[in-house]
Amino acid sequence: MRNDWDDDRLLAALGQALKAREAVPSWFIETGKNAFAWHNIDAELAQLTYDSQQDQRALAVLRSETASIRSLTFTSAHLSLELEVTANSLLGQLLPPRAGELEIQTRAGTTSTTEVDEIGCFSVEPIPDTPFRLRCRAADGTDVLTAWITI
Amino acid sequence: MRDDPHVVALVTRASGGDHDAWNELVDRYSSLVYTICTRYRLSNHDIEDVGQSVWLLLVEQLGKLREPAALPGWLATTTARECLRVVTAASKAERLGTGLDDSVLFVDDAAIDEEILVAEQNAALRAAFAELPPRCQRLLSMLVSDPPRSYAEIHTELGIPVGSIGPQRARCLERMRRSDALAALWEGEEKINIRGGEPGA
Repeated sequence: MRNDWDDDRLLAALGQALKAREAVPSWFIETGKNAFAWHNIDAELAQLTYDSQQDQRALAVLRSETASIRSLTFTSAHLSLELEVTANSLLGQLLPPRAGELEIQTRAGTTSTTEVDEIGCFSVEPIPDTPFRLRCRAADGTDVLTAWITI
Repeated sequence: MRDDPHVVALVTRASGGDHDAWNELVDRYSSLVYTICTRYRLSNHDIEDVGQSVWLLLVEQLGKLREPAALPGWLATTTARECLRVVTAASKAERLGTGLDDSVLFVDDAAIDEEILVAEQNAALRAAFAELPPRCQRLLSMLVSDPPRSYAEIHTELGIPVGSIGPQRARCLERMRRSDALAALWEGEEKINIRGGEPGA
């Protein structure tokens, strides 16, 4: 668009702009607005530091064995989460070990919780079929949130 | 519109926790995100998934965006990446293997760049339109409606004499041209043109 456009071109461009906005379904806009609920969640972020699947891809050139159990590691300054993906559940452990509560947040907006035992072990069943992340509130006050996970 | 102070202010306010500013950002750019999703021919379910991912990622990145004015580019790139993730996951699930439609996988960068320019232009036009007095908004809405409305219909509905419609249309469009939103857009484009005109660019 140029500032030397005549009235007809400017009006046509405005028509397109208004139409483009009308083409967006209202549920799509609501989804975007609701995402703000995640703003400023007061937890330490744990980033993915190991994924066996990525490792296997890199090794595929050297070896051709089939994939074993997928394992993932998320690390933050105070805590790491080791995860193993089995056929129908997700087994995990907090390191260093400590008890607490684990929250499973899905992008679909659902949240569920499960216990973390004294040696830091937990299981999530079933594995969410949409991207999800885990928030871990340990008994000692540590609060850690993982990056988004897709299994 | 790389330096649009309005967008910069919205990002700053939203990262400070202002929900209204966030809503305005979503209003402003949801058609950009949505259009890119439709280019990947995603189902409504997948479009919702991508939309959720993109906006959540933006919520997390708000305070870290080094150049808030580059937001449309960030949104477009992130949307394209998320669309690709969904398309790839779907093809795996259906065991299509190598049968994946290449045209879906490779929505080229030029097309995405074009969407960004269109989105910035559309956002500026809608912002300029929103600043107009209600009588101008009503008149211009009727003039751009599809199918087009006749001057006789406009006269009946808005009570403007047929002979005044042309001059009022011109005055309303002139007001739009003088708006801050379009000024910011044009200023940004001049800068881009200057860069594009450099030798070897």
